[in-house]
Amino acid sequence: MFHMYLPIAGNSVNIILILGLGGFVGLLSGIFGVGGGFLMTPLLMMFGIPPTVAAASDSNQIVGASTSGTLAHMRLGNVDIPMGVMLLIGGIAGGTLGVQVIKLLRAMGNADFLIAITYVIMLGGVGGYMFWESLQGLKKGEPEPVADSGPAEPVPAEKKESFLQRLPFQYRFEKSGCEISMLLPLGFGILVGILAAIMGVGGGFIMVPVMVYLLRMPMHVVVGTSLFQILFTCVNVTIMQAWSNHTVDFILAVLLLLGSTIGAQVGTAVSKRLKADQLKIMLASLVLLVCAKMLAGLLMTPTIMVALKGGH
Amino acid sequence: MKQIEKKTGLLWLEITAAAFILLIGTLLAPASQAEEMNLKLASDTINITTFYNGTTLTASGTVPADADVLVEVSGPKKNVALKVKGKVGGFLWMNKTDVELENTPAVYMVYTPEKLQTGLDKLGVGYQALVDNIAIEPESADKGFVFAEYVKLMEKAGVYGVNKGAITYGPADKGMKTYSLTLVIPPKMNAGDYMVRALACRQGTVIGRANQALQIRLTGLPKFIARLAFDHSLLFGIMAVVIAVAAGLIIGMLFKGGGGAH
Repeated sequence: MFHMYLPIAGNSVNIILILGLGGFVGLLSGIFGVGGGFLMTPLLMMFGIPPTVAAASDSNQIVGASTSGTLAHMRLGNVDIPMGVMLLIGGIAGGTLGVQVIKLLRAMGNADFLIAITYVIMLGGVGGYMFWESLQGLKKGEPEPVADSGPAEPVPAEKKESFLQRLPFQYRFEKSGCEISMLLPLGFGILVGILAAIMGVGGGFIMVPVMVYLLRMPMHVVVGTSLFQILFTCVNVTIMQAWSNHTVDFILAVLLLLGSTIGAQVGTAVSKRLKADQLKIMLASLVLLVCAKMLAGLLMTPTIMVALKGGH
Repeated sequence: MKQIEKKTGLLWLEITAAAFILLIGTLLAPASQAEEMNLKLASDTINITTFYNGTTLTASGTVPADADVLVEVSGPKKNVALKVKGKVGGFLWMNKTDVELENTPAVYMVYTPEKLQTGLDKLGVGYQALVDNIAIEPESADKGFVFAEYVKLMEKAGVYGVNKGAITYGPADKGMKTYSLTLVIPPKMNAGDYMVRALACRQGTVIGRANQALQIRLTGLPKFIARLAFDHSLLFGIMAVVIAVAAGLIIGMLFKGGGGAH
C-alpha cells in the first residue's frame, strides 16, 4: 500500500514512511544545524536502499532542507554569511585534501582502524565535553535570552589571543559578534573538511562544536551558519555523485524533501524557543548517541560476515 | 477343440507381444516423457511502473505422474564485490578484506514440493550446486564461507531463497499430472533478463527440463528517471539540485506567509 518504485535504488519504499523520515531528519537539521546524514543513511539502508544511493540521495535531500532552514534562520538574523563563506571555502579545500590523505593512509595500511578509533574518540570527546559544559550552564540557570546570547565562554588564554590578533586579515564578523582574522575560519574549515572526508560524514557534527568552542560564536548563529554552509557542500556532493556515480535517486530525494523542508521550518521555530544551553545539551546527547551506536557496531560480532562493497 | 487351442495359442501370442511392447515402452519412457514436461508462465514480461511494489507470477505445467518438479528462478550474472568483516586490533569488527564472487546471479530462488525424494544438490539445484559453479577472487579466500554469508545477505534482501512446499500437484491423468506454483517477484528484483527453469526428477535423476525466459523492465516514470540519470548525468544532477533548492524556497515562503514571524 502507498508504495513507490525507486528506479536508481532498485527497490520500492513506503511513501508515508519516507515522508515521515524526511520530516524527522529535517526537524533535527532545523534545530541543530546538522545535515542528519548520520541518521538518514543507516535508516535508508535498513529499508533496503543500497548505501551509496542512500548517501547520495540524502545529500540531494539536505539541499532542500538546508535551503528551507537557512531561509528561516536568515529571517531570525542567525546566519553569518561572511563566516559561512570562509568556512565553506576552507571546507571544500579540506575535503579535496582529505581524499588525498585517505589514499596516503590506506597505502600505509591499517587506515580504517585509525579512522574508526579517531572518529569514536572524537565524537565521544566532543559530545562529552559539550554535555558537561552545557549541564554546568543549565545548573547555573542563567536566563540568557536566546537572540543576543553572546559567546558562550569568556576570554581564552591571553597568549593565544595576542597571537590570534596579530594574524593578518582581521575582520569584524557582525552576526557572530567577534573580530578575528579571516584565516581562522578558513583554517578550521580546512580542518573540518579533511576530517569529514576521512570519516565519510557531512561534517556538521564537527563543524558545530568548532564554531561554538573554537570560534566562540553564539549557539543560534552557529545553527544558522552551519545550515548555510551545509547547503553549498551538499549541492556540490549531489552534482558530483549524480554525474560520476549515478547514485542520486531523484524520486527518493523528492519524497524525503517534501518531509524535510517542512521539518526544517518547524525545527527552526523550535530552536528559537530553546536556550543556548538546552540546544547544546540536546545536540551533545545526539552526538553521544551516535558515538555509542558506532562503538556498538565495532564491538559486537556481526550477524553477517560480508557486506556489499561501497557501504561504510 | 483344435479351434479352441488355436485361439488360446493366438491369445498367448497376443499377450506376449503386448507385454513386449509394454516392456519396450517402459524402457523408453524417460526419453519420451521428457518431451512431455512443460512449463508455462502467466506472463513473460513484468513492467515496473511508478507505484510498483513487487508482484507475483503464476507458473504451471504438466509432468509425468510419478515425477517430482523443481522450479528455479535465476537472474543476471555478475561479479559481486564484497568486503569480509574481520577483527582489527584484536577487538574491533570492521570491513577488512576485499573478495569477489565471479559470475554470481543477482537473483536465485528455488521452489520445491513439500516432499522431495532426493537432495537438491544431486539434481544440480540449490546453493551447493550454485557455489560449485562460482569462482572466488582471490582464490585463497574461503569460498564456502564467503558464499554462505553472501546468501544470508541476499536472503535478507529477499532475492535468494529456497521455498519448500511451494509447488502443488493436480490429480494424475493418463500418466501425467499438472503442477503449479506462485513465483514471488520482490521489488528488489531489478529490471533485467531472468530464466525460469523447471525440472522433473524421479529417483534422484533428472528426467525432463523446460525453460521460460522472464523479462522485468522499467516503464513510464521510472524508465524516464533512470534514463535521465544514466544518459544525461550532469544535467540530471543539476536538475535534482535546482528542484531541491526550489522546494526549500517554496516551503520557506509558505511558512513565512502562513505562520508569520514565528
